[in-house]
Amino acid sequence: MPRFLLFYRLMVRPLFREPLRTLLTILAIALGVAVVLAIDLASDAATGSFRSSMETLAGENELEVVTSGGVPEYVVGTLATLAYSIRVSPRIEDYAVITDTKKSLPLMGLDLIAEGGAYAQSALQKTAESQTQSASEQVFNRLGDADGIWVGSSVGYRTSDRVELLINDRVRTYTVRGVYPDSNGNESAIVMDLAAAQHALGRYGRVDRILLKVPETPSLGDWQQRLRTVLPAGVEVRLRGTATNENRRMLAAFRWNLRLLSCISLIVGAFLIYNTISVSVVRRRPEIGIARSLGASRGVILSAFLGEAACLGLAGALIGLPLGRLMATGAVRLMAATVESLYVSSRPGIIELNGASVLLALAIGVGVAVASSYSPAREASQVSPVEAMARGRREYDVRVHQARDLWLALVLGLAAAAASRAPAVAGKPLLGYLAAILLVAASALAMPAFVDALTSVSSNLLGKVFGVEAMLASRTLRASLRRTSVLVGALSTAIAMMTAVGIMVGSFRQTVVLWMSDQLPADLYLRPAGFAAADRHPTISSGVAEEVAKLPGVAAVERLRAYEISYEDMPATLASADLNVRRSHRNSDFFSGRPSEQVLAELRDSNAVIVSEPFTYKHHLKAGDSLTLSLGATQASFRIADVYYDYSSERGSILMDRQTMLRFLPDPAPSNVAIYVSPDAPLEIVRAEIEKATAGHRVLLFSNRDLRAEAMRIFDRTFAITYALEAVAIIVAVMGIAGALLALVIDRRRELGLLRFLGAATWQVRKLILMEASLLGLLANLAGLALGFVLSLILIYVVNKQSFGWTIRFHWPVEILFGALAVVYGATVLAGLYPAQVAVRLNPIEVVHED
Amino acid sequence: MPILSFEDVSKDYLTDGQPVHALKGLSLNVKRGEFVALVGRSGCGKSTLLNLAGAMDFPTTGKVLLDGVSTSSLKDNGLTQLRRERVGFIFQSFQLLHTLTVFENVELPLLLAGKHNPREAARERLAWVELEGLGDRHPHQLSGGQMQRVAVARALIHSPSLLLADEPTGNLDTTTGNVILELLRRLTREQNTATIVATHSLEAASLANTLVRLRDGKIEEITRR
Ligand SMILES: Nc1ncnc2c1ncn2[C@@H]1O[C@H](COP(=O)(O)OP(=O)(O)OP(=O)(O)O)[C@@H](O)[C@H]1O
Ligand SMILES: [Mg+2]
Repeated sequence: MPRFLLFYRLMVRPLFREPLRTLLTILAIALGVAVVLAIDLASDAATGSFRSSMETLAGENELEVVTSGGVPEYVVGTLATLAYSIRVSPRIEDYAVITDTKKSLPLMGLDLIAEGGAYAQSALQKTAESQTQSASEQVFNRLGDADGIWVGSSVGYRTSDRVELLINDRVRTYTVRGVYPDSNGNESAIVMDLAAAQHALGRYGRVDRILLKVPETPSLGDWQQRLRTVLPAGVEVRLRGTATNENRRMLAAFRWNLRLLSCISLIVGAFLIYNTISVSVVRRRPEIGIARSLGASRGVILSAFLGEAACLGLAGALIGLPLGRLMATGAVRLMAATVESLYVSSRPGIIELNGASVLLALAIGVGVAVASSYSPAREASQVSPVEAMARGRREYDVRVHQARDLWLALVLGLAAAAASRAPAVAGKPLLGYLAAILLVAASALAMPAFVDALTSVSSNLLGKVFGVEAMLASRTLRASLRRTSVLVGALSTAIAMMTAVGIMVGSFRQTVVLWMSDQLPADLYLRPAGFAAADRHPTISSGVAEEVAKLPGVAAVERLRAYEISYEDMPATLASADLNVRRSHRNSDFFSGRPSEQVLAELRDSNAVIVSEPFTYKHHLKAGDSLTLSLGATQASFRIADVYYDYSSERGSILMDRQTMLRFLPDPAPSNVAIYVSPDAPLEIVRAEIEKATAGHRVLLFSNRDLRAEAMRIFDRTFAITYALEAVAIIVAVMGIAGALLALVIDRRRELGLLRFLGAATWQVRKLILMEASLLGLLANLAGLALGFVLSLILIYVVNKQSFGWTIRFHWPVEILFGALAVVYGATVLAGLYPAQVAVRLNPIEVVHED
Repeated sequence: MPILSFEDVSKDYLTDGQPVHALKGLSLNVKRGEFVALVGRSGCGKSTLLNLAGAMDFPTTGKVLLDGVSTSSLKDNGLTQLRRERVGFIFQSFQLLHTLTVFENVELPLLLAGKHNPREAARERLAWVELEGLGDRHPHQLSGGQMQRVAVARALIHSPSLLLADEPTGNLDTTTGNVILELLRRLTREQNTATIVATHSLEAASLANTLVRLRDGKIEEITRR
């Protein structure tokens, strides 16, 4: 008990004496914790839900039969007539948009006559225990109707309501025949009869999935073996949920990178805790001496300071919890949009602040605080009683081993260089990140030498240019080298991360802009109004493209068809295009550097494909290799003619000639159509013609410019969250600067008072503090820019390459970068305003005689 | 005309709501070239008097006139200006800036006043206090006596008409202290400044032209020689 009393008196009470500075430190930790927590919660919510309603509604079936482009319907018969008692449930799966609400919902076609009752019992009763047997049977009466649909109760319709649905490029009116209970809106779907769904989607003779419920013996593996023998070559039987796992694997890198990015604020926060505890150690040197001479052991002193840090960390974590929950709401929207446009359709799930996340927040708050305060706390425990009680407060940076630290920085830098050359570990750029961390550490170690060198050469010059206040500011910063280095280190780390990510995103953007100018050669693009995502490819009714091609002024049309497939346990996109129409591109888009005509000619009517760059990284393939694809009932081998750059999606893509694809998958409906307008025809008139010709279909017509703008909008939205993370890190750093300047003012009050005696006006005192803030900002910007540049190289050429497999061309996003740096610089100077005000308000007579 | 006059000056401080009367109706005139020793027990108001004289603070009642200008009539800017032109301070604990060299310490008041090229003046002042050649050192490379001499040079850099020293020998041994006092007296004469030294030292008292004895915020006796 007396220990706690002492701890309270000596460690906790002083924290209340400088409430603002304590608050700033706590807030810095709170923000750091909040961001990590927010990203954790949001990425669970945003990506967790791609376990789509299809899976939720699949019931208790264990196996599924799938293939690219759909399973031929006769397979259902084959399976149903086997001598085993297997329940066979064929499915059509797609999406429909309710035209009234623009809400996109999963559309599911199932054999209601065969399985309606069983379905109602298994899948639906689970979600509504109160539902009686007879009621659930009623839900699926009038099963055979072609215009009948069943909807989840959360969608908000009642039986016999009329609902307009947009499916692919057509709108049809359906009648709600029944409403089934669903526990929340994310699991809701529109259910219709299999035949009706095939009709609505134009998907005759095929089903998307066949779910199987097999007897308990033998094992699932044996059943898979057994069934494989009766299935056509291209058709695969696998465990249900495989797609979910594949998606999860695909998203791992994305989530991982985001999570790491969210730690930046925490790293910056760690610097600031270090500084806070260091200041506290210096201030309390005499107390430490007294306590030691009164019998306190080194261990007691050490734990007292660690305890102080832990208190700050705990307080920060407690504030960070609700803050993180709040931030997660915003983050989840951004992330869900990104996931949807780059990976897989998903609807954000529910953000759950559970016990694990609370523990995580507390652990990182307290953990980071204690870890970053260890070094100053240890230093405090090493203080000898006599020395500490000696008069005069020594600056705490007497012990800076500049030369030694510089050597260490060099060693770490070399280690970073080595790590950046190493390959990915288990598909993750672990060593790339290690290189980045080593570089940050190296720069922190080199910081004292950097600050010392720069302030010593610049102080006289500064004095000449900006007046004596600038000279004094520079001298002060140099005199408290360790403190200054830690501050510059914190801010420059934040700036470096901002710069690195800024350069990476800017380079990426520029690369995409250049790439698009080659990729989108057509004048107009047509696509169905139905909701498209990276894994959803609604189609345009066949015949529309041919109609358009006949219009005057249309030189050519190119039909593109995409399928969502699974290749070697990873989701991928399989696409085909009218290669004979493809215009030659300005630059080669191929790894080989060969002209496009030459590469595309190889694909025509042959089993050759080109694959996208991310595909090659995911599957370790290169030009000349061959790959085997399951297409409908058949399996076929294709040669990779070349690899093309593709920045539209992180999913790997395979492209073949349209004629080749039709041989395997005969559905002629295209996913979208590129239209080339004759050079002599006025674009607007042709456009109007096309709109007239497609009037019966819900299609969207984009000009080349629209499409590019749309792509860039998606791109920018994708990276919005990274910008938000950067901004928080910068805010944390600037708050740290404000707190540290406040401490600096308090510790130097005697000197500030003296200046007034020597004839300094109040504005000169204010200018002095603002100059210090400004110098800190300048040093941090310089160091941050340099470190950021190196980090950006690691991000572009190592981390991005290893996690996503994109070739990005380096580009300085000059305006954005310098704009951001200017804002940071301005914020740093503003952070000096309040400390400057405190300095001005000091009473010189009182402070000049204080020790 | 006196460079400094106190006309019936009182100074009250408020501590915890209780007024402390530090100076009570005090009047005093000091001329150029006059070396004043201010003596009295601890807490009698010596430092308070010096702060009022140096335009660092205002009297509660009465007037402090610096070169005929009442400090109470000026705002913060005016006071700063007055200090820059007329007043030099010397402190018991030297109060040198450790981040600056000796030269830079001495030049500081001129730089703060926005004057350019102060190096010549600084060199000259260092010669006055017999520290030629030490200008590039840092304060921690000097002895206590030397530090105080740097402080004297700094106080004289802008040729003030009033030099105020609060126990300038308090942190020095007797011999060194006497050297400093001797120096102050010499410079008072040579530079024709008015110098007020608050001190406990008998030596100082014996060197002074004028001895002012304070007691409880009032002048107990003034001895002129
Ligand atoms: N800022 C202040 N607030 C309240 N009381 C003060 C303040 N400054 C001085 N005093 C009081 O005014 C009186 C005169 O103080 P002053 O510092 O002038 O004495 P002094 O003669 O310089 O003493 P010493 O020889 O110990 O330096 C004392 O009673 C002191 O407690
Ligand atoms: Mg005093």
